[in-house]
Amino acid sequence: MSTKTISIHSSRGGTGKSVIATNLAVILANRGSKVALLDLDFRAPSLAMAFSEAIKIPVKCWLNDFLNSKCTAEQIFTDVSGKYNLKGKLLIGLANPAMDAMRDVMEKSRSWEVTAVKKLFSLISTINDMHVDYCISDTSPGMQYSSINAIVSSDISLIVTTLDSLDLKGTEDMLTELYDALDKKVEVLVNKSSPETRIKSNKKNGKLADKLEKILKHPIIGVIPCYCDVLQTERTTILALEKPNHPFIQDLVKIAEKLTVTT
Amino acid sequence: MFTMASEEIPLALKNAVLLARIIDELHEANEKLELLVNLNRKLLDAQKGSLQKTDSKRKPSQDFKLAPDVVALLSLPMSLRKTVMVLYKLEKATAKDIANETKRLRAVESASANQLVRLGYLKKKREGRDVYFYIQPQPEIKE
Repeated sequence: MSTKTISIHSSRGGTGKSVIATNLAVILANRGSKVALLDLDFRAPSLAMAFSEAIKIPVKCWLNDFLNSKCTAEQIFTDVSGKYNLKGKLLIGLANPAMDAMRDVMEKSRSWEVTAVKKLFSLISTINDMHVDYCISDTSPGMQYSSINAIVSSDISLIVTTLDSLDLKGTEDMLTELYDALDKKVEVLVNKSSPETRIKSNKKNGKLADKLEKILKHPIIGVIPCYCDVLQTERTTILALEKPNHPFIQDLVKIAEKLTVTT
Repeated sequence: MFTMASEEIPLALKNAVLLARIIDELHEANEKLELLVNLNRKLLDAQKGSLQKTDSKRKPSQDFKLAPDVVALLSLPMSLRKTVMVLYKLEKATAKDIANETKRLRAVESASANQLVRLGYLKKKREGRDVYFYIQPQPEIKE
């Protein structure tokens, strides 16, 4: 079985992309799968912070180093399965959160981006050789080179959107201008939806999903209500590990199941 | 006898004059032909120059190299986009290899790849009987 690659994307920042990517990876790894989680948000990396308790910073080899041909694909991974006592395996590849590294990525030329997308494909090929079941990439929001590179190299993308009108408009535009143009498989996940959808039955979420599907002309994989305690949780806290029964995690478990079937 | 001789001389003279005139006219015609040949040569040279200029407009010059990055990809038609995306993955491939990935006909991929070569996005090289298409590695230039 070849690796299923899933990129987590959004039109704007603050939709909960990184939290969703982290928890989805942990959920899948805890189900017994071998998972690789990549931080491809080079302009605002956050996974180094999320996994700071499991890894030693600075790591020997960042994803930036791999793209700059300073290390091999295998060298970027840190196995955190033992630290979190997971049933399966979780390998993480982090982007360098240092200011210099972020500046360096911003100064890259178009020629470098061509090399970067090719390197990304070779990384996925290595991940496949490592018998990884799922590779999840956390990307930069909007139309950034790194996020489009991630989308191009993925089997499926999950766009995380809130119900904010600007966010929805951005998602609609991205679906047409980017995903349809690249003929890529995509699912939309509504996050931080109105809290009343949590109180009411699932029918309310179903109606909302139907309405959004008509507007966006793409499938809605789920609607997750806004949980204030999730918003207040420290970045170093991985809810799927610490509160696996939390409704937010339970919603993500359903999303994970649907995603594994879809891909 | 005298009469006959006097009649023969003017005839020979007449012939000689006629011959001389023919030769002169032939020279003149030859000069004109030479002039026409020269003019034609000049016209052909001018035409050749103009064709070369048109060709250079059609094909990107050696100095002009396109970076087939993902953003440039969005400006291409879907049929060509798919071919480039496969080459990101395969690095170097024949039309048949590309067709295996895209599930389209080999002939379609060959046409797409050759069009991308003409547009300057791809390069191609022959290895034995196979023609390989690839994305030209470019030197790192900060923009």
